[in-house]
Amino acid sequence: MFIDRDYLRRRRVAVVLGAIIVLLAVVETGNALVAPLRTPSDRDWTTAAARVRAEFRTGDLIVAAPAWADPLMRQKLGDLVPQAVAGRMDSARYGRIWEISQRGARAADTTGAAVAATARCGGLTVRRWEKPPATVTFDFLTEWRQASMAVVHADGVEIPCTQGADRFQCVGAALGPELLEIDTTLRNGLAVDPVEGVTLALEFPAVPLGRELTVAAGLHNVWLRKSSDGKVRLRVLADGRELGTVLVTSTSGWSRQGYDTAALAGQTARVRFEITVDKAHGRHLGFAAEARNP
Amino acid sequence: MSGEAVPTVRRWRREWLLPLVLAMATSAWMLAVEGRQGIGRDESQYFRAGERYWGWVESVWNNLRQGHPARAFTRAAVDGAWDDNHEHPGLMKLLYGTSWRLFHKCDCMGGKRGLHPIPISGKPVTLPLFRRESSAFRFPAILLAGLGVALAYWLARRMLRPTPAAVAAVLSVAQPHYFFHAQIACFDVPITVMAVLVALAYWKSLRSPRWGILCGVFWGLALATKHNAWLFPFFLLAHYLWMRRGDLRRPRLPRVPLAFVSMATLGPLVLFMLWPWLWHSPVQRTQAWVQRHMQHEHYNFEYLGRNWNLPPTDTRLKLLRVTFPFVSTLFTLPVTTMALAAVGTVLFLRRRRRDGASVFVAAPPRALRPSWLRPGADVDRAGGAFLAIHIAGPIAMVALPSTPIFGGVKHFLPAMPFLCVLAGAGAGWLIQVAGKLAMAPRLRRALPLALAALLCAPAVAETQRSHPDGLGHYNLLAGGFAGGASLGMNRQFWGYSALPLLPWMIAHRPASNRIYWHDVLHDALIMYTRDGRLPLGIGDAGVGEQVVEQSDLGIVIIEKHFTVYEGLLWRAYGTTAPSSVYTHEGVPFVVAYERRKTRPELLAK
Repeated sequence: MFIDRDYLRRRRVAVVLGAIIVLLAVVETGNALVAPLRTPSDRDWTTAAARVRAEFRTGDLIVAAPAWADPLMRQKLGDLVPQAVAGRMDSARYGRIWEISQRGARAADTTGAAVAATARCGGLTVRRWEKPPATVTFDFLTEWRQASMAVVHADGVEIPCTQGADRFQCVGAALGPELLEIDTTLRNGLAVDPVEGVTLALEFPAVPLGRELTVAAGLHNVWLRKSSDGKVRLRVLADGRELGTVLVTSTSGWSRQGYDTAALAGQTARVRFEITVDKAHGRHLGFAAEARNP
Repeated sequence: MSGEAVPTVRRWRREWLLPLVLAMATSAWMLAVEGRQGIGRDESQYFRAGERYWGWVESVWNNLRQGHPARAFTRAAVDGAWDDNHEHPGLMKLLYGTSWRLFHKCDCMGGKRGLHPIPISGKPVTLPLFRRESSAFRFPAILLAGLGVALAYWLARRMLRPTPAAVAAVLSVAQPHYFFHAQIACFDVPITVMAVLVALAYWKSLRSPRWGILCGVFWGLALATKHNAWLFPFFLLAHYLWMRRGDLRRPRLPRVPLAFVSMATLGPLVLFMLWPWLWHSPVQRTQAWVQRHMQHEHYNFEYLGRNWNLPPTDTRLKLLRVTFPFVSTLFTLPVTTMALAAVGTVLFLRRRRRDGASVFVAAPPRALRPSWLRPGADVDRAGGAFLAIHIAGPIAMVALPSTPIFGGVKHFLPAMPFLCVLAGAGAGWLIQVAGKLAMAPRLRRALPLALAALLCAPAVAETQRSHPDGLGHYNLLAGGFAGGASLGMNRQFWGYSALPLLPWMIAHRPASNRIYWHDVLHDALIMYTRDGRLPLGIGDAGVGEQVVEQSDLGIVIIEKHFTVYEGLLWRAYGTTAPSSVYTHEGVPFVVAYERRKTRPELLAK
C-alpha cells in the first residue's frame, strides 16, 4: 500500500490540485522537448515550393500563413512574388491563391475563397484557394503617367506640375510610384509629401470605371508617423462628383475604402484625387487605387 | 559532541553548500552556452565603455607610478573615460572592463590592435580563462547571476524550508527571458540581483542592526548598477508601513529604522564613490542622470500585433497598454512556475491559519518592544506583503501607459525572484501533500527531491529550448516561439541575433565589401572581429536608409518597425527573395539579401 487512502479522502481537493500541477509539469516539459521537433524543416519548405512551382500560373498569388513565415516563403519562391505583387494594395484581383500554411493558420488574403487543392509537405500544408477575381478596369498606380497634376492655391489658381521619367515635379512637391512602409507593411503606392495651404490635384482624364473604385491610403515610415501628427485628406472625385474622402493619420494604417461606381460602370470618367494636409511636417502619403468590377 | 556536530554540518550544507552549488551550477550553465548568444546594441556599448573605464583605472596607476597621482583625477581625465555611456552608472561596466583585462586570451598586438577604444601599448599579462574577449567581459554578469540564485535561495529560506527554497532559487533563473539577460554584459539581471540583495538585507535588518548598515551599502551598489534602484526605497517603505500598521492605528508614527537611515546616507555615498563621472559636478550630473530616465523616449516595441512607440492617447489603447506587463508575464514565465506561484499566493494569504503554517519557517516576534535598531523584532514581518510589494511594484511601474515598454519583460525582471519565492511556497505545499499521501517510507523520503526536480524540469527545459533567442520565446500558453509570433508579441531587440548568420555572411562577402548590417552596431561588429568571428576588414556600409543603396549584401533584423529597411533592400537589390534566413523553431529572426544583377523593374514584370 503506497497511498494513504484516508488522507486522500479527507484532502481530495488538495490532492487533485497537486496532481494537476504535476501533470502540468510533465506536459510542459514534454512540450518543451517535442515542440522544436515539429517545426517545418527546410526540406518541407523546398518540397512545398516545388509543389507550388509545378502548378503556378502567371497572375497567381502566393502567401504564407501565418504572415510571419513570409520571409521563408519568399526565400524559396521570391522570384514568383516580385515587388509589384509583394506590395499589393489587396488581393481582390487574384483568383488563385497559393497558401503555404503551418499550425492550422489561414491567410487573410484567402477570405471568401474556397479550397481547390491541398497537399501536405511535412509540417507545411499547401493549399490552392480559388475565388472569382475582381476585374481591374484601371490601375491608377501603374497608369500614373496618364494623369496630370497641379498645385491648386486657395484662390483657385492652378499651377501645373511637370511629368518626369519617374515622378511629377511640382513647385514644393513631387509625386511618383514608390515602395512604401505603411502600418509596418510594404505597399506599392503613389507617394507624395502634402503641402500646407494648397491642394495637390492628380487627375486622370479618361478612366474606364467598373462597379467600384477602391482607394487605399496610409502614411509612410514608422519614424515619421511617430514624430508627426498632421492629418492628410485624400478626396476622390469622378466627373466632378465627390465619391468620398479618406482621412489618413499616423494611426489609421492602410485605410481602404470602396466607392460604389455602379452608376458609371462601363463608362469613361475623369477621376481626380485632391490631397490636403493640416500640418505637413513628416507626412509622406502613399495611396493606390483601382477601378474594378468585384 | 557528535550530537551537536551533526546539526552544524547539516546546517552548513543547507545554508551555504546548497546555495553555493546552485550558484556554481547556474554560472557553469551560462558559461557553457553564452558563446551562442550574439552581441546586442547596448551590450556592445557597455563593452566599449567598460574597456575605457578600465583604461582610466590603468591611468590612475600609471600616474601614480610617474609621481603625478592627481593627473588621473582632473575633470578632463575623468570625463575622458567616464563620459562614455554616462546615462548608466559605472559599477557593472567597470567590472566588465576589469574582467576583460584580467581574463581574456590576449590577441591584441596584431591587426586587432586598432580595434580597441583605448591605446594598447604592449601585450598585457592576462589569465587566459576565455578564448573570446566578449566572454571575459560577460564573466562578472554571469557570476552575479549565480549569486542571484544563491540570494534567491537565502531570501526564500527566510520563509520556506530548504527544498522549496531551492526550487524557488532554480525557478528564479530558469526563465527564458531572464536567462537571456543573465548571461550578457548588461544591467537588467545585475539590478535584479541587487534588488534581492537590498530586500534581503532590509528583511534581516528588521531584527539585526548589522544588516541595517549593510542595507545602505547594498542600496548604494544597486544605485551604481542601474536606475531601477530609485524605486527600492518606495517598496521597502510600503512594506515597513504595512508591517507597522499597528503603530499607525494607535496613532503613533513608526520609528525610522536603521536601514532607512543607512540607505539615505551610505547609499548616495557609495554611488558617488563608484561613479567618477559624478565627482566634478555631483548635483548637476545627478540631475542629468535622473532627467535622462524620467524623460526617456519611447522606442518601438511590438505587443499584441501593434507597434508601440508613443504613449497611447485614446482610452481603449491605454487600457490595452496597461495589460502589457501582465500579459507578457502570462506568456513568458513557464506555466508550471506560474501555477506554483498561484498556489503560493493562496498559502501566503492563509499563512496565519493553521492549515498552511507548516509550509513556512516559523519566525515569531522575538521582543515585546521595537527599537530603531530592530524595528521588526516585536511584530510579524509580513512576508506575504513583502513579496507582494516587490512583485507588484516593478510590474505596476511598467503598467503605467506613460512608461516606455521598449525593454519588454526586462523592465520588470526584479519582480521575478520574489514571484519565485511564492512558487517555492507552492512547491513546498505540493511536497507536503505528496509526503502525507505517500505511505511507504522510502517513497516518502525520495518524494521531496523527485518532486522538486519535476517541478523545476519544465522551466529548465523551456529555458534551454529558448537559447540563444530567449527574447522571442513564449510559453506553453502562447504556443512557443511560433505562438508568440502569431500573437504579435515582441520577438527581439538590440540586433543581437545576427551571430548565427555570420559564417554565411563571411562566405557571401561581396567583392565590393559593402555590407549593410542594419541594427548590428559598429561596436558589436568590432567585438565579433576581436572575438575572431568576423575577419579583419569586413565591410560596414554604416547606418541609415541612405547607405542601403550603396551596399551589395545586407541584413535586416526582423522587428515590426524595421519593415521599412526590408523595403529598402528590395528596392536596392532588385529582389524580394532573401538569400538566407535565420530562424528559431521556424520563426524568422534575421533575413539576408544579396544584390542581384537583374534590374528591379525587370523583376517586377
